[in-house]
Amino acid sequence: MAELKTESNFISNRFQPAKSTLLVDRLMNRFIKIGGGLVIAAVMGIFIFILCQLLPLFQQAKVSPIKTFPVPDKEIVALGTDEWAELPFLLDKKGVFYFVDLAGDRGVTSVTPSFQEEKKKSSFKYRPQSQTVIFGTEDGYLSQAKIKYTPAFINGRRVVQQKITTSPFFPLVEKGGVVVAVDYADAESEKMGAGIVLRRGQKEVYAVLLTQKRSLIGKGKVKIAETYELTDQIEGEPKDVLLNSQANNLIIATSKKIYYFYRNEDELFLKQTFEPFQDLPNETIASIDYLLGDVSLVLTGFSGANRVFSLFIPKGKTTRLFGQTKEFPSIPLGANLYSKSLRNKAFLLGEKNFVSLRYVTTEKIRWQAELDFDLKQLVLNGKYNRILFLDQANQLHLYSLKDPHPETSFKALFGKLWYEGYSKPEYLWQSTGGTDDFEPKLSMVPLIVGTLKGTLYALVFAIPIALLAAIYTSQFVIREHRQVIKPAMEIMASLPSVVLGFLAALWLAPLIETRVPSLFLIVLMIPASAILFGWWWSSQSIQLRSKVKPGTEFLVFLPILIVVTYVGWVLGPVLEKALFVVTDPGTGQSVADFRMWWPEITGTPFEQRNSLVVGFMMGFAVIPILFTIAEDAFSNVPIALSSASLACGASRWQTAIRVVLPTASAGIFSAIMIGLGRAVGETMIVVMATGNTPIMDLNIFTGMRTLSANIAVELPEAPHHGTLYRGLFLGAMVLFLMTFFVNTLAEILRQYLRQKFKTA
Amino acid sequence: MNLTTIKNKQTSKTPSFNNVKAKGEPYVWLTAMGLGVGLLMVVLLLGVIAINGISVFWPKKLVEITLTEQSDMKINGSNKIAGHISKKQIRKNGKKEWQLYVGNKDVYGFSFKFVDKDKIVSVERPKNIMSIERLEYGDAIGVPLWLKVKNVGEFAAGTKEFDRRLKTLIKGSHQLWAHIKQIEKKEIGKINRQMQSLALKKKVIGSKKEFDLVEKDKLFALDNKIELLQRDYQILAQQAQDLRVKVNEHTLGYRLVTGEEKVLPIGHIIHTVYPNKLNVWQQTKLFFYDIWHFLADDPREANTEGGVFPAIFGTFVMTVLMSMAVTPFGVLAAIYLREYAKQGLFVRCVRISVNNLAGVPSIVFGVFGLGFFIYFVGGTLDQIFFKSSLPTPTFGTGGIFWASLTLALMTVPVVIVSTEEALAAVSQGSREGSLACGASKWQTIQRVILPASAPGILTGLILAMARGAGEVAPLMLVGVVKLAPSLPLDSVAPFVHLDRKFMHLGFHIYDLGFQSPDSEAAKPMVFATTFLLIVLVVLLNLAAIIIRERLRRRYATSAF
Repeated sequence: MAELKTESNFISNRFQPAKSTLLVDRLMNRFIKIGGGLVIAAVMGIFIFILCQLLPLFQQAKVSPIKTFPVPDKEIVALGTDEWAELPFLLDKKGVFYFVDLAGDRGVTSVTPSFQEEKKKSSFKYRPQSQTVIFGTEDGYLSQAKIKYTPAFINGRRVVQQKITTSPFFPLVEKGGVVVAVDYADAESEKMGAGIVLRRGQKEVYAVLLTQKRSLIGKGKVKIAETYELTDQIEGEPKDVLLNSQANNLIIATSKKIYYFYRNEDELFLKQTFEPFQDLPNETIASIDYLLGDVSLVLTGFSGANRVFSLFIPKGKTTRLFGQTKEFPSIPLGANLYSKSLRNKAFLLGEKNFVSLRYVTTEKIRWQAELDFDLKQLVLNGKYNRILFLDQANQLHLYSLKDPHPETSFKALFGKLWYEGYSKPEYLWQSTGGTDDFEPKLSMVPLIVGTLKGTLYALVFAIPIALLAAIYTSQFVIREHRQVIKPAMEIMASLPSVVLGFLAALWLAPLIETRVPSLFLIVLMIPASAILFGWWWSSQSIQLRSKVKPGTEFLVFLPILIVVTYVGWVLGPVLEKALFVVTDPGTGQSVADFRMWWPEITGTPFEQRNSLVVGFMMGFAVIPILFTIAEDAFSNVPIALSSASLACGASRWQTAIRVVLPTASAGIFSAIMIGLGRAVGETMIVVMATGNTPIMDLNIFTGMRTLSANIAVELPEAPHHGTLYRGLFLGAMVLFLMTFFVNTLAEILRQYLRQKFKTA
Repeated sequence: MNLTTIKNKQTSKTPSFNNVKAKGEPYVWLTAMGLGVGLLMVVLLLGVIAINGISVFWPKKLVEITLTEQSDMKINGSNKIAGHISKKQIRKNGKKEWQLYVGNKDVYGFSFKFVDKDKIVSVERPKNIMSIERLEYGDAIGVPLWLKVKNVGEFAAGTKEFDRRLKTLIKGSHQLWAHIKQIEKKEIGKINRQMQSLALKKKVIGSKKEFDLVEKDKLFALDNKIELLQRDYQILAQQAQDLRVKVNEHTLGYRLVTGEEKVLPIGHIIHTVYPNKLNVWQQTKLFFYDIWHFLADDPREANTEGGVFPAIFGTFVMTVLMSMAVTPFGVLAAIYLREYAKQGLFVRCVRISVNNLAGVPSIVFGVFGLGFFIYFVGGTLDQIFFKSSLPTPTFGTGGIFWASLTLALMTVPVVIVSTEEALAAVSQGSREGSLACGASKWQTIQRVILPASAPGILTGLILAMARGAGEVAPLMLVGVVKLAPSLPLDSVAPFVHLDRKFMHLGFHIYDLGFQSPDSEAAKPMVFATTFLLIVLVVLLNLAAIIIRERLRRRYATSAF
């Protein structure tokens, strides 16, 4: 028994695989499973990564308290801050500054600015952009104090230090009177002051223009050039004055109306009067201030209305006037505390315990909350990452603000927005500008339209050629030729697009710029000649026709094609002389030039690098793919079907068009979809062969900017994790989804087709 | 037209069942037109590139044109123009004009000139006119006058002695330049690298707030070393300076056809030739000489002159790195999908997705590469390993490694799809046979399935390489540059510099055609580069097709 057991053991041992084999097998199995799974996960991860990169675009602002700091109990009239909110200041009614050190341990420092003469201050205005405080005095004078923050390193630690410089007083009105509202703008050589003066119980409005000559040795003396009395132009009681930083726009607000004065040289005239809350009978103006850039006015009413008026040229007018561009949801208690961002078009409103951070461009509320204290003052810092609140109990609250992408929202990216300075809402892509107050315009729509435009022209050109060639190759061409044609087309598909783009831009574009009529002729003449020749040929005797073997027609047709093309090319200028004649506005002579005729007739421009060129070259990139897949679809139609058709007496054309084409239609559709996918994502051809201007039209003689070209052009310069960077990731995502969707559709159709023929 | 209408009338009398027209025979010709147009376009495109690309290298005869006295196309008041005709065209107003490459950009300020045909009095081809390829300002075209050899004397042009001397002097100057390059790039470069690493060490020690004695000593030693290196550097720089003076001590005098006389140091000359004296054999020789220099030289003058060697090399190294990354992953994923994963709805979805990824625009992969590889992975690597050289990024910026990985990701679907197809083509019988003989699953894959599907895998790889080599858009985001100071592979340890930026043929085309200061002068180079790139890509594709056929045949016979 025991012996037998060892025997069988021995036998089973003998057939046992080596331990190492099993080990390697197990290891490899695991390795392949894990590795393969990981590779596939990684490939899918592209989608997730891009999604993660662009999600912050749609996030709301995050605001959280950092700390609270007690401040002296004074009658505070203004709250200001440095760029980093490290050393904010409070200003009291006597004109004393209290600097609060939030970053270090210096506590509160009070500074009384020293003026050349002592005057009692009666009104104040803080202008955060220039870091100045404007003072109006009880005897009708104006002055400003400039706060300069300088970072210094003391014992290796960063300490911000303040310095206040004042300028001498100048009279707003010589007769005297208490200045109750004041503003002052310094535009280097010209300065302007304005104020409301209380005299004999009457509120009067004055403005004054100062000039300063620039000389080689420092700045010249400030001189009063002109004084304006504006009271009689204002109806009702004036409440506030506002100047822009170029010192040429003066806004005066009463409780109902806004008066817009414009200064040209030394002439100040009333340009526009409007009632911002005309349609709201119970509403009166509570606060009015400029937004960054001094183009838009943010208005709030005592009942809580909140509107933005911008300067733009209205339809039919020639100068810029104010008009309402945005309307925000109203604030429950009304709002008269206002602070604008110095980075973007955001502003902060507050009243009692309610605060709201809003963004003008997108018309969105970024953050809104009810605080657990009542507000006295509030301010946003220059970096747009801190908010300071001063409450009624003399506590200064420092909040952190995290809002990296306020300028985007779903509507900003995909909808029409009314941008500053434009006369109507528009779809625009304009990511960078020259100035700090530039408003980025990041609508994807012009890019999507551009992408579709390029694709459309490419497909209009490619589909007929590719499909006709595919039908011919699969149905009529003799076998030997087909074996050459197919690989040749496959190699064409691999031609780098940079080559096509370069040829389009430097060879094709200049070549066809002057020969558009020739091109039209060729496009018309080639198919016409094919049909006419086919017609003529079919009516020839069988002896002649049998000279051309069926399936080699394309070889016979090639010389005709070349001749027709050449004739079309030569006849083009003749046609141009006959049809496209315009009078040259420069010389008054009539010239035959299509490039001038087209804009004259249609009103749309003609560019050298246009959609025609792009369509032609992109067609080049698409034709081989379309051809290959369509040819496969035709060839995969079971031979039994076409044989049956031919046997029933149908001609080869009838078989191809009535039997093969309907059967392969799903495959054709899938070929077109894949061609579309390729055209949508094509980058280099578009970058090189168009002007890359993001415009929204379908004119064939202008260029476009596609999503892909936009990424290639702008991403290398986009700052990491900035709004533009994420916006471009969104562009990539849109592109990804577009092609993925189209390709999936094509793939499913193809599988369906394959399945269908398998059973048949 | 007339003919057809008459014929129409005739044919309409014939019985209808015999009528080929009714059976749509003319439409067959329409489809034939489709194929004809497609093929014609392909031939036209390749023809334009080939003709323009090759003709760049063919030496061109120079002409000397005499214009009428009243012509307004004179250069510097002279009515003579010399150069080669680069274009003949008819203007809108019907006038014929020639575009001449006149060279001598240092004197004229331009190198191309349009001349009206009817203003030309005579066209001659003087034998003694010389085309001089220079280091700067493109070609000089003129009649040589004399050669001044230092300490030997002056030689008048037109003699055999002159030509012989000129040839040897230019050869000598080339050797001197090679020497200068050796000193400046290799030796001074070595010192620079040492100094950099010492400075980095110093920075690391210096960043501490307090030093102990040992560290002070170290700092002192480092300073000493740096000083020694500085001295070596001075000596080498002086050597190079002396050589630079030496290379320019002999001069060539020549006169332009417009009358100006110019003196050119020999050291600035690359090559001289009398184009009008050349016979066909010499022209052919020169043709191949030019091609060789195009392939082997570094670019000069904002890439518009010289060669494209760094771009070829960059493309090659990137493609190789890409293949190294793409093959294992692609094959692994395909084996998993075909041999291991349970075939069901999920795997079908994965398969469709992978298929579709091949159709996702390349720029999207570029965006991913920039965001993920460069900023995320590269930035993290820099934080961990290269902290001392921050804020200058090492891997946190575009480089050949990230570019290769990005392209590998882009092409991995191609490899997966073709490998899967190849695996599916291996008959179930061979799998079962192998397993029945007692082989383990891995053994079956390793010994039976993989060899049988090798042709398919190889084809996929070559197709991926062709796509990678020709792709430009994603590279623009992940590390390609117009001019890289050094190659990604060289003799300096660690030999393979994965963090370096590189040049690429495709980007070279884009850059030359669109960012070049003088696009007309750059045109020949663009066409030549384009031709090279197309040849490369077409060869790769042809190779894929041929290898596929050949291997298929071999394995077809050995299959069991």
